[in-house]
Amino acid sequence: MTATQESQDVTAASGEPRTINLITAVTEALHEEMERDSRVVLFGQDVGARGGVFMATAGLQASFGKQRVFDTPLSEAAIVGAAVGMAVRGLRPVAEIQFADYMGPGFDQIISQAAKMRYRSGGQYTAPLVIRTPSGGGVKGGHHHSQSPESYYTHTPGLKVVMPSTPYDAKGLLKAAIRGEDPVIFFEPKRLYRASKGEVPGHDYTVKIGEAAIRREGTDLSLIGYGGVMPDLERAADALEAEGVSVEVIDLRSLVPWDKALVVDSVQKTGRAVLVSEAPRISNFMGEVAYSIQEAAFDSLLAPVGQVAGFDIPYPYVQDKIYLPGPNRITAACVQALNY
Amino acid sequence: MTTSPLVEPFPETGIQPFTKEPIRYVGEDGLPVQNLPAAYTPERLRELHAVMLRAREFDRKLITLLRQGRTTFYAQSSGMEATQVGLAHSIRPGHDWVWPYYRDHTLALALGVPMFELISQVLGSNSDPSRGRQMPHHFAARKQHFVSISSSIANQVPPATGTAMAQKYLGTDEITVCTFGDGATSEGDWHAGMNMAGAMAAPCLFVCENNQWAISTNLSGQTASENIHIKAKAYGMPGFYVDGNDIVAVMEVGRTAAEWVRAGNGPALVECLTYRVGSHSNADADAEKHYRTREEVQEWLGRDPVVRVEKLLEHLGHPIESEERANMISAVHREVDEQVIRAEATGQPDWRIMFEDVYADLPAHLREEAAMLRAEQEGERK
Repeated sequence: MTATQESQDVTAASGEPRTINLITAVTEALHEEMERDSRVVLFGQDVGARGGVFMATAGLQASFGKQRVFDTPLSEAAIVGAAVGMAVRGLRPVAEIQFADYMGPGFDQIISQAAKMRYRSGGQYTAPLVIRTPSGGGVKGGHHHSQSPESYYTHTPGLKVVMPSTPYDAKGLLKAAIRGEDPVIFFEPKRLYRASKGEVPGHDYTVKIGEAAIRREGTDLSLIGYGGVMPDLERAADALEAEGVSVEVIDLRSLVPWDKALVVDSVQKTGRAVLVSEAPRISNFMGEVAYSIQEAAFDSLLAPVGQVAGFDIPYPYVQDKIYLPGPNRITAACVQALNY
Repeated sequence: MTTSPLVEPFPETGIQPFTKEPIRYVGEDGLPVQNLPAAYTPERLRELHAVMLRAREFDRKLITLLRQGRTTFYAQSSGMEATQVGLAHSIRPGHDWVWPYYRDHTLALALGVPMFELISQVLGSNSDPSRGRQMPHHFAARKQHFVSISSSIANQVPPATGTAMAQKYLGTDEITVCTFGDGATSEGDWHAGMNMAGAMAAPCLFVCENNQWAISTNLSGQTASENIHIKAKAYGMPGFYVDGNDIVAVMEVGRTAAEWVRAGNGPALVECLTYRVGSHSNADADAEKHYRTREEVQEWLGRDPVVRVEKLLEHLGHPIESEERANMISAVHREVDEQVIRAEATGQPDWRIMFEDVYADLPAHLREEAAMLRAEQEGERK
């Protein structure tokens, strides 16, 4: 079944739980929110008739018309800026940036306009918008189609920054982002678009932005990640469990705000933490998580907080898979913490 | 109608886009250079003059306030009164939407933003509707749909296009008006926003307040383009070139362009050729020494838009007598003094509001940080 056919099957949620992939979850969330609220409009490059390069918006123009789902000129500054202006005027724009790597030209619109509108106007104006963008590596995209720029955005107060790893979260978090009153940068780990499958409820639901999820409970070590690396965390946890190690796997799901309480509780219980993300290590968001752990759970730590990150190099094309923190590198970091 | 907005005069007013010379109704000597439309009666001209003079004197008093150390920054709009007051007449306050730039306080006054609010913002007082969050001159006024100003240049252009797109989507008869200086037209955002507006046929009126200096870079250093308005052609919208010191011309051309936009024809660009008589801000008060000549300033002072209306009224046999003018000036000065006292009396916003309005709700990390600051502040007080 093609993505287009899948999206045409989308209906308002009702009935039994279904197993879908992450990109279908995105499409369903958009479809249902557009059906629910006529203020929701969707635009970007190629999102209309084609449905986006990954087909996340496939079929939506056919369902909602060109007034609500449309292609724009090729300009990230104009796409993001227009979203700000629409949100200020009362719409609920959802803008797609084709790849997170392309957000550069729209950066100033994100940090100077979207992030600050509420604050700088003293609450007279707000910019509740969503910018969706595929991010991360693992699809042989080279450095302009593989980067993980989330930390830039976590550094700007006023923005919420979200990255799901399961269809359930993708759908629930995207709905929450669209319904919320704040600007949200919604990163979609592109290598999980079709690789991540899971159950979504047959009824309408949202996932609260700012809450992490415990993917499996454990007592020896807290293994913490988000986005595209999550399946590798699970594989590493499987390998360690085969050796008799009890691993608690946590998916942050959102970075701003992030669930410090859940992480600290977990590390207080396990005494060890290994943090995983594929973004380059310097100024990686996990540095904030590590700092918070040592600040709030120092007395519980049995080993230094471990970190597995991307390398501090532009994302390489040929070495695509080697660059990413795979299960082996993650497992090794866990072993190091366990043997400290 | 088959009129092409890119070449032919607009039928209702006969105003021509893409002229070589700026459109003008009243010459520098105050004599009409073409027939004035009937609406410009002496009474009407006196009203316009009063609004311009009020803005001029507001500027002058605010400079005094700055020198007294009661505020930290001031960006004058003296010399640009005809452009901003004239433009205000194309905008329906509280109906149309305005994405302004930081030198638009004369426009704000002309749109009915209370002087008290503007002074409160400049002082960062408790009565500032923006809650003391921004540098002076970065106003926002919800009632007049005057959207919050960003310091980043041309940053308002793509959002203005977005607001216009939303208006089109919502099917309203509103338009969006987006203002900027000549320097803004060098920014990528300007081109991105203009291009998007053209492609989307967004009901947006773009207005370049070409005061010829972006801090220390003049127009010829800014662009090799013959002027700004011809760039409109590249984005498929009409561009108008106006003498920005002639209030009649700004009003007539502004109205023509705004009505065209309002009728659903897409965006338009108006370039008002004017001059910033003062420095960019208090930070470059010695502008004449560094980047422009006294002669240039003197030449433009001779084109003073306020004086031009006075000359016109004299020519029409309705002069503003010197005593009357002096009384008007002192009335504005009194008004500013009163509003300053009133605004200062409200105090400064409390540190407790620092964490508000970052998000719709206070997230846990900001609750923590606020609690930390509270402990620090209250500890110091003990």
